[in-house]
Amino acid sequence: MMTSLEIKGAVAAVVTSVVILLATFTAGGIYRDHRGRETELGNKPLAAEDLAAKGRGFFLRSCAQCHGRDADGGEDAPSLLNLQISGAHMTLVIQSGIKDEMPSFSKKYDAQDTAAIVAYLKSVNKGVLRGGGP
Amino acid sequence: MIPWDKLHGATTHFPIALLLFSTLCDFVSVTFKKLPFARGLRLVSFYGLAVAAVGSLGAVVSGIALTKGDLWGRGYLGWHHRFVWPAFGLLVALAVWRLVVRDETSRVGLCVYLILMLLASGFVAAAGYFGGEILLSGSGVP
Repeated sequence: MMTSLEIKGAVAAVVTSVVILLATFTAGGIYRDHRGRETELGNKPLAAEDLAAKGRGFFLRSCAQCHGRDADGGEDAPSLLNLQISGAHMTLVIQSGIKDEMPSFSKKYDAQDTAAIVAYLKSVNKGVLRGGGP
Repeated sequence: MIPWDKLHGATTHFPIALLLFSTLCDFVSVTFKKLPFARGLRLVSFYGLAVAAVGSLGAVVSGIALTKGDLWGRGYLGWHHRFVWPAFGLLVALAVWRLVVRDETSRVGLCVYLILMLLASGFVAAAGYFGGEILLSGSGVP
């Protein structure tokens, strides 16, 4: 049998863990909303389609060589259509690169430029801008 | 701009290593409990677990900042998170339990604790594996 001290410890452990997890999820949610609002405000002059069009410009300059003009894949790199990853994950890959496969673009594109590329990739995944844009 | 990717990489390995080492120390101390160093190992595992729990807060904060608040995600990021959150919750709970109980454990209490330590170690190892996959293999990017 467990002692009363162990049971008290278990209660304290569960309560602390639940409180910390709830606080983490709440803080994470608030941060995500805040970042979303910040991005919206920062891009106010640019509508979603303009942002994606700007992103297409960056894409053609830096990514199309490997991933194809319409992001449908090339000889050396896969298609970026039907991506099953979040925008945050796309940002992470663009900024960090993939070891031995894809260079990091963190020095070339800042957060806003990367957001434009992500917006473009999201738009082609919805079939909105495919083949269009500047 | 804060380099969250580098900070996350720097902060995650301490809790992972400390939790795994703490679990190992616990199992060795239980297996060889009559040897003189068994008590010392229990102490090492206690402090290792406590520092891992505190260190995991830094890893979690830098991870949330890195993903811009995306607490689940898809693909390997999603798998990483599916293991991270139970590992984090268990790690905190186990550290608090050890802090309260110290060495005054019953046989049943010790068994439950060791099973949960193994579970937390498995979760943390899996979370680390999928975290590595995100960076090294680029999976999730078709």
